[in-house]
Amino acid sequence: MEVFEVSNIDFDRYSNRQLAGVPLLALGIALAIILTWFVLYGTPVFLGIEFTGGTELTLRTQDSPSAIQRTFENEITSIRQIRTQENVYLVTFQSANSDVLASQARSAGYEIEAIETTSPIFGESAQQQALFGLVAAFIGMSIIVFLLFRTFVPSIAVVLSAFSDIVIPIAVMDLLGIELSIGTVAALLMLIGYSVDSDILLNNHVLRRSGSFYESVYRAMRTGVTMTVTSISAMTVMTIVSYLFGIELLTSIGFILVIGLATDLMNTYMLNLSLLRWYKFEGVKR
Amino acid sequence: MSTIRERWRVVLLTILIIASGVAIFAPGIGQSAGLTNLQYGLDLAGGARLRAPVVGITAEGVNVTGQNELDIEQNISSQLNVDITDVQARPAQNTVEVFADNVTQQGLRNALQQMGLNPSTVRDGVTAETRQTIVNVLQHKVNALGLSGGSVSIAQAAAGTHFIIIEVPNRDIAEVKEVVDERGVVKIVASFPAPGNKTGTIRKTVLTQGDFASIQPPTTQQGVPVVPVTLTQSAAKDFAAAMLKYGFTTGRGIENCQYQSAPNSSYCILTVLNGEVVYAAGMGGNLAQDIRTGNFNQTGKFVIQTRNMSEARQLQINLQAGALPASLDLENGTANYISSSRAENFKVTTFITALVAVFAVSGVVFLRYGRREVALPMIVTALSEVIILLGFAAAIRLPLTLSHIAGFIAVIGTGVDDLIIIADEVLTEEVSSSHVFKNRFRKALWIIGAAAATTIIAMAPLTQLSLGDLRGFAIITILGVLIGVIITRPAYGDILRELMTDK
Repeated sequence: MEVFEVSNIDFDRYSNRQLAGVPLLALGIALAIILTWFVLYGTPVFLGIEFTGGTELTLRTQDSPSAIQRTFENEITSIRQIRTQENVYLVTFQSANSDVLASQARSAGYEIEAIETTSPIFGESAQQQALFGLVAAFIGMSIIVFLLFRTFVPSIAVVLSAFSDIVIPIAVMDLLGIELSIGTVAALLMLIGYSVDSDILLNNHVLRRSGSFYESVYRAMRTGVTMTVTSISAMTVMTIVSYLFGIELLTSIGFILVIGLATDLMNTYMLNLSLLRWYKFEGVKR
Repeated sequence: MSTIRERWRVVLLTILIIASGVAIFAPGIGQSAGLTNLQYGLDLAGGARLRAPVVGITAEGVNVTGQNELDIEQNISSQLNVDITDVQARPAQNTVEVFADNVTQQGLRNALQQMGLNPSTVRDGVTAETRQTIVNVLQHKVNALGLSGGSVSIAQAAAGTHFIIIEVPNRDIAEVKEVVDERGVVKIVASFPAPGNKTGTIRKTVLTQGDFASIQPPTTQQGVPVVPVTLTQSAAKDFAAAMLKYGFTTGRGIENCQYQSAPNSSYCILTVLNGEVVYAAGMGGNLAQDIRTGNFNQTGKFVIQTRNMSEARQLQINLQAGALPASLDLENGTANYISSSRAENFKVTTFITALVAVFAVSGVVFLRYGRREVALPMIVTALSEVIILLGFAAAIRLPLTLSHIAGFIAVIGTGVDDLIIIADEVLTEEVSSSHVFKNRFRKALWIIGAAAATTIIAMAPLTQLSLGDLRGFAIITILGVLIGVIITRPAYGDILRELMTDK
């Protein structure tokens, strides 16, 4: 017995324009947000200390956040408490001089659990590398997709969906003030790999299998939605648990994947699907 | 149909799981003290890591020969007003390096042009040889701390800049910086029989640290591993005079060093590090000739012969007294520290997190299929990929970090996705024969292969970049996807066929 079943949506009720409109509007809004951020802050997304340079101390102390603020002579960018550990704080500084910060912390009687320092020059190099990595991954993925399908519209549909799957989470990061870290870059790369799975599945069923368009779509959806929902639930759980434990890397990866995979559901079954339907019923005839 | 040939994937999977189990749990394979043979990296073991570029600029395409080498070094050092030990000309590479942070690229170019030399390029950074020397010296020092697991390596950034990475378990940042900066005291001592009819040996210090203009990396001369060194001009004169005076250039003195067996009749040149004799060598015939003719006073060059390359490398490090040929720019790198207790805590909590994620996957899969014979093998197969990866990590003694754990989670994610594709493909209608099954299975594999190709290509750039910890993540993900696509995921298909078509 199956407890949850992927229900069939009556796609026939909506025109291609209606179906594609929603994800394209979402993509447009996301791009507008990122552009606004670029104009306002000079960067499309807030950068963490791994990219800007700076220091993060993990401290154990009885002091309140405001007392911690007074302890350090250097300017503090943020203070965050780890939920499940009493009296443990993540304190970030613009300064990359960890020796000075560590000695200030020690003389105040704080126990140092961890130090992470990046110099501005190193951060800049990391920025370039992250950007290069994302662009190269995306281009590589696009080439593979075009090689797999060898037709323009279905291929570009996958690439456009994947593009939107990355752009929308970045806009969400802007709105929620989440910084780009090594972990979120990893998550964005994972999205490039993950999100095209359901698109490839859909294209494969529609283009390479016998049966009517809608039959193929429903069959692809049954599998694809299961895949994505499974991943989303695993990542949701991972995000919550790692947040409670204070494992930043896993929290940021999990959160970005949840947003990205949810976006992917919309993009695959609205954007990719409408482009595919247009190609199948109108594009091919031309 | 149930022959081994038909089920080779399942057999292979079983063998791999057992082998991984052995690699992870069998005592004596790894050196770790814990329950398993798994090695843990910085954020799961505790310790400190420094990452820093090397100070220096390099002129390439300079016509350096054995003859003008010393000349270039002396000339450039006086023109640029830097210490002679901070200038290194390399005939084999045709490069001139300056290890000082107050010299500009244009400054070095001008200085070389003054000498009539025209470098093809002048760039920031140092040569690969210099970096390797730095890594050797640092590795030696880290090993001297008596801690296993300390490592020194080179990483390349996008723009061709290189970083030296030093990782030491159970130490903090200040302690690792101390290790980088610390130097030993090195002396070259002549040991020879007492003259006349007195007995015993006499020891005279003939060279100290400041007397060396440069100590080159080891090379081979006529098949013998040697360390070439160059003395400053005044030191060369004094050294030659001492060698003549103590009888090292006479028939009795040449190549007559049995420091261990017959110290009383030996003529040895000893390398003494922190008061301890670390190396003994005899006077060579050619060098004695050079000293007698006075040639040596001009060049100040000689080579110290060793028995093998690793001895040569060790001698070079000793001669440098643990000094780096070029200093590390610690201000412009990164520094990480994590306490052992916090790392220990991470180890437990990441394990719990990963486990909970697996439960979530299992829960959804059970809800979706509602059939144990479909869902259970699915979860077991996905987990087996992680076990094989862990076994691989234990076997090659890869130090696991948080980013590897993230990679494991990514592998479970893509793995379950693929298994769902296989299950759905196979279960759409009643499977009547194994032929029908094979046909559908092949169709499923096309999608899985396509999805795997995109994942691998998306991760590939990361394996080449030194983007913090992401390399480990990318390598594990790629490896996991490969193991999955080639072995485990098809094996799941075989298991499913067994369970479906037998009914």
